Amino acid sequence: MVIKMDIVFSDEVKKAIEGKGLKVDDIKKVIEGAEASNDKITNGSKFIAKKVLGDVTVYADYSVGGSITVNSGYAHKMKLQDIVMDTADSEWTYVKNGKKIRKGHTNLSFMGATRSAPSLVDPASGESWLEEYLAAKTIAVAEMLFSQKRA
Amino acid sequence: MEKIGETSALCPVCLKTIKATKVAENDKVYIVKECPEHGKWKVQIWSGSEHYKYLYEFAAVQKPPQKFAVKEMKDCPQDCGLCNEHKQQTCLNVVEVTNLCNMNCPICFATANGCGYKYHPSLDEIKKMFQTVVDNVKSPRVVQLSGGEPTIRDDLPEIIKMAKDMGIEHIEVNTNALRISEDMEYLKALADAGMDSFYFQFDGIDDNIYLQTRGRPMFDVKKKAIENCGIVGVGVTLVVTVSPNINLDHVGKIIEFAGLNVPTVKGVHFQPITYFGRYPIEPTDKDRVTLPDLANAIEKQTMGMLKADNFLPTSCSNVHCDMKSLSIVMEDGSLFPLTTMALGPPVKTDDIADKTRTEVSKFWRFIEETMDGPSGSEDKTWRSFISRAKTHYLTVSAMAFQDVWTGEVERWERCCIHMVTPDGKLIPFCLFNCTAADGRTIYRRKAFCGN
Repeated sequence: MVIKMDIVFSDEVKKAIEGKGLKVDDIKKVIEGAEASNDKITNGSKFIAKKVLGDVTVYADYSVGGSITVNSGYAHKMKLQDIVMDTADSEWTYVKNGKKIRKGHTNLSFMGATRSAPSLVDPASGESWLEEYLAAKTIAVAEMLFSQKRA
Repeated sequence: MEKIGETSALCPVCLKTIKATKVAENDKVYIVKECPEHGKWKVQIWSGSEHYKYLYEFAAVQKPPQKFAVKEMKDCPQDCGLCNEHKQQTCLNVVEVTNLCNMNCPICFATANGCGYKYHPSLDEIKKMFQTVVDNVKSPRVVQLSGGEPTIRDDLPEIIKMAKDMGIEHIEVNTNALRISEDMEYLKALADAGMDSFYFQFDGIDDNIYLQTRGRPMFDVKKKAIENCGIVGVGVTLVVTVSPNINLDHVGKIIEFAGLNVPTVKGVHFQPITYFGRYPIEPTDKDRVTLPDLANAIEKQTMGMLKADNFLPTSCSNVHCDMKSLSIVMEDGSLFPLTTMALGPPVKTDDIADKTRTEVSKFWRFIEETMDGPSGSEDKTWRSFISRAKTHYLTVSAMAFQDVWTGEVERWERCCIHMVTPDGKLIPFCLFNCTAADGRTIYRRKAFCGN
């Protein structure tokens, strides 16, 4: 049985999430999905989960105590593809299958181009996760390069 | 035949203002006009009537100039300067510093060395024109120094420094590249004075083309000049006069050449041949290239690497005046276009002249700030893609100037590229240069020689 816990956003976190053009409700959806399926990674003190909503992969970075506290939310429009390589163990574990998550590179596709970026990977399931620094910087800039003419 | 719109135009014989209609017929758009004294004209201005109409959705909310020299306009486009009816503020100011030239090309919008008068303003007169820019145009201000051939002036570095000191942020020099190919000291002096970039006349990579357009072989001159600019670190835009009879079948090769010369070459700017000033023939429709014709030729000749759909109107001028694409030149020399019509009309189009002026610099600065750490040298990553995008980008753009046969008020009144006149006026570039069939000018001669 899944016990539904409150999901708490501090004002600061809420503002940061909305500042990235994301909805608080979308972050909730990601967490609810992850809590129901165990499709999440953990480093012992917090979790990262992702979910594809429409054209966007949305991530929630959260901690679980008496309630669920959201640390951050971020997203990318690029589509995660195959894992290109894995190089070393990370501090993360995939809750769903108990496997150690590896540091690696994953291909990401966007508007006809496919190139790789550093990622957290589980070679067993083929799943990859992007950490926030990457989604907020390199990948965001690349996405912006493609869409700048719309500005 | 479907009527698309009504506008005013010029009689190619007497230069008087006459009514004009734009019509679609057999998937082409024509301007039809009649002068009660001199007859009727029907001239093709576009290929693809649905595309022509769709482009109106890209029209920006334009911002009228804050100041205008003409207080009471009676007859547009006869008393231009600008006036309170003008729809768009200035984006590029063209300041002509001489009408003398070290070449004598069969094709020349300014009829340099052949117009029967000399225009070679003093530093004080040039300062006055820069003051017109400072007084009328908001920062950041962009000035193109043009002519004639600006580099025949030994005091050009002084002129550039004066402009910068007066608060003009960006200076580009329009040149045939002759002096730049042979006088390194002069080139360094221009760069040291603060010149930002060159606008290089460049019609192809084959001297047979230059023999027809410029009357002499020029390709080696252009290559040497680009090499020199690379040494000094000055960016170059290749400016191509495109004629269906001379070099329309070479546009793909020109883009390929530009890609190989990135990052010194920043862009290729195609200008379909316009029949004003000096030109060798009396034009018919088959002597013209419309923007869609050009885009299709580029798609075909680049083997689809750059597609017609990669070109968007800048929305700064009238949507039928220009088109622009931006690509990253990849490691293997191929182009990776970042622009596409599939993105649809711009979401926010107000104040687009401001945006055009600041967009590029702001955008690259953001990338610089975001991409901390050493630049990615790893192959085929998104990080190396962005590193490459910072330096190895190429704009391929085009502008369809209007002449006395194709010109219309609907486009002139939305123009953002303005000639600065010695008496303090700003006049749309192609209106300023418009000549009647017999060579009489509507503005140029009066502005520069007083009669």
